Amino acid sequence: MTKHTQAYVAALSPTQRRIAQLGVVFVPIVTQITDILRVGSLAFYYAFKKPIRWREVLQQSFFIGNRSLAFVMIVLGFLGMILIFQSGFQAKRIVGDLQGMGALYLQLLFREFAPTVTALMLATRVGTGIAAEIGSMVVTEQVDALRMNNAEPIQYLVVPRLLASIVMTFVLSCVALCVAFGTGMFVANTVFEVNVATFYNTSLLEWGDLIIFSLKALAYGITIPIIASQAGLAAFGGSEGVGTATTMAVVNASLAVTILDFVLSGVGYIFFFS
Amino acid sequence: MIRIAEVYKYRGHECVINGVNLVIPQGTQVGLIGPGGAGKSLLMKICAGLVRPDSGSVLIDGTEVVGIGDVEMTSVRSKIGMLFQNYALFDFMTVEENIGFPLRQLGGRTEEEIRDEVNRLLLAVDLPNTQKLFPNELSGGMKKRVTFARAVIANPPILFYDDPTAGLDPVTSGKIFALLEERRARGGTTSIVVSHDILGMRDICDSFVLMDHGRIVFSGTREQIEASTRPFVGQFWRGEADD
Ligand SMILES: Nc1ncnc2c1ncn2[C@@H]1O[C@H](COP(=O)(O)OP(=O)(O)OP(=O)(O)O)[C@@H](O)[C@H]1O
Ligand SMILES: [Mg+2]
Repeated sequence: MTKHTQAYVAALSPTQRRIAQLGVVFVPIVTQITDILRVGSLAFYYAFKKPIRWREVLQQSFFIGNRSLAFVMIVLGFLGMILIFQSGFQAKRIVGDLQGMGALYLQLLFREFAPTVTALMLATRVGTGIAAEIGSMVVTEQVDALRMNNAEPIQYLVVPRLLASIVMTFVLSCVALCVAFGTGMFVANTVFEVNVATFYNTSLLEWGDLIIFSLKALAYGITIPIIASQAGLAAFGGSEGVGTATTMAVVNASLAVTILDFVLSGVGYIFFFS
Repeated sequence: MIRIAEVYKYRGHECVINGVNLVIPQGTQVGLIGPGGAGKSLLMKICAGLVRPDSGSVLIDGTEVVGIGDVEMTSVRSKIGMLFQNYALFDFMTVEENIGFPLRQLGGRTEEEIRDEVNRLLLAVDLPNTQKLFPNELSGGMKKRVTFARAVIANPPILFYDDPTAGLDPVTSGKIFALLEERRARGGTTSIVVSHDILGMRDICDSFVLMDHGRIVFSGTREQIEASTRPFVGQFWRGEADD
């Protein structure tokens, strides 16, 4: 607070001061959201502007895949088994018939679990990676050096990560879907003796499910790198600054994925499933 | 010419650049000295348009850099070369790619021309056969020399050197100062040199500016600074400890 603001605050009535204190909470949140929107819109602006560093896009795609493929497969594989195991018991108790389980499960994977759980994994794995990389470039002045050479950091660093993430989030969500369905099918078959051919049932799938799956994957694929890049670009200080940026990236990205999931599920319900 | 007028920068409550006024005439080399945390690096970044001051104005060859857009800044920045205190070498690029980066960004040269220029500079800074190494394979002193090469490769008319000899042995730092002197002698370059090596800087700067706590506390030629009777100035210049 400068002297000027101090004097201003001192002159406020108690009620006014209480209202002003709300700013302590809301101003940082609003500032951060504005900054994320700024990075996002600039990234889109540059994504449609030449030159795009395609070699870097390829390299980043490889990094994302390499970093997260095993992670996503393991988590989704186990999650698939657990989901079928738990819901199988419930279904047996209530309905007694497990024939429709595969069809319902596939729908659930498309609409919800495959893209969203994958995105949550990517928020931790890819989000931290991006925030740490860009953050350490900021604190070692590499980003300043880019700007001095008229290489806009958002164009140079964020755009390749954004494009790579859009593609890889979709690819990894598809992998996740297959793995989770496969392990679920395995449990259904071994524990509940549901025939594989019965379990593999696409009768409930609609175009809406595919569209929601793709929309979610696309939204997460855009949001995670943008939020992580903003956290990295906002890093300051030394290596602790990088640490703070990484934490901020995971928290914000996971939060954003959850909120987007809620919104897009609502959109899906209104447009396709009601 | 660089003209800095009434520049203020706050960090929270603290005033880290406190009303700085400074004019650096075309073709002169100014030595910017002062204790750690005085604001030397920050002032340079403000001049380069990397940090926006809270108030004040910075004119580079007549163009105001405070608050201008990125597009206008492009033409100003292509005139400036900067050697960063923390090396700022791109860790995903080799030495060769790092040094050639400014030329590649400017465009208009073939890869072969760029390579020749990089090799010539690597010889000048005494780092032959390091083209394919990555920054994390270099020692601190080697990195400093690479950043020097990257700062000067495009022959910019304005140069900011932030501690070009930190962490160098006396022989190498002598060489770097000799390269700075060579550039100054050629004429036409306006530059600011930040260094704690006052002995090395004495002979290569046209004038000196002493900063402390975000203010300019003294500015003048070597003779004027040596003749100064102010205790802080004399002590700092001769590197004497407080008693
Ligand atoms: N972008 C910035 N915004 C606000 N304050 C900053 C910024 N960058 C640095 N500072 C503050 O400015 C002060 C001066 O820092 P600066 O790095 O310029 O010192 P210096 O004179 O270069 O010191 P040294 O000789 O150790 O390099 C420090 O207190 C620092 O925290
Ligand atoms: Mg400094």
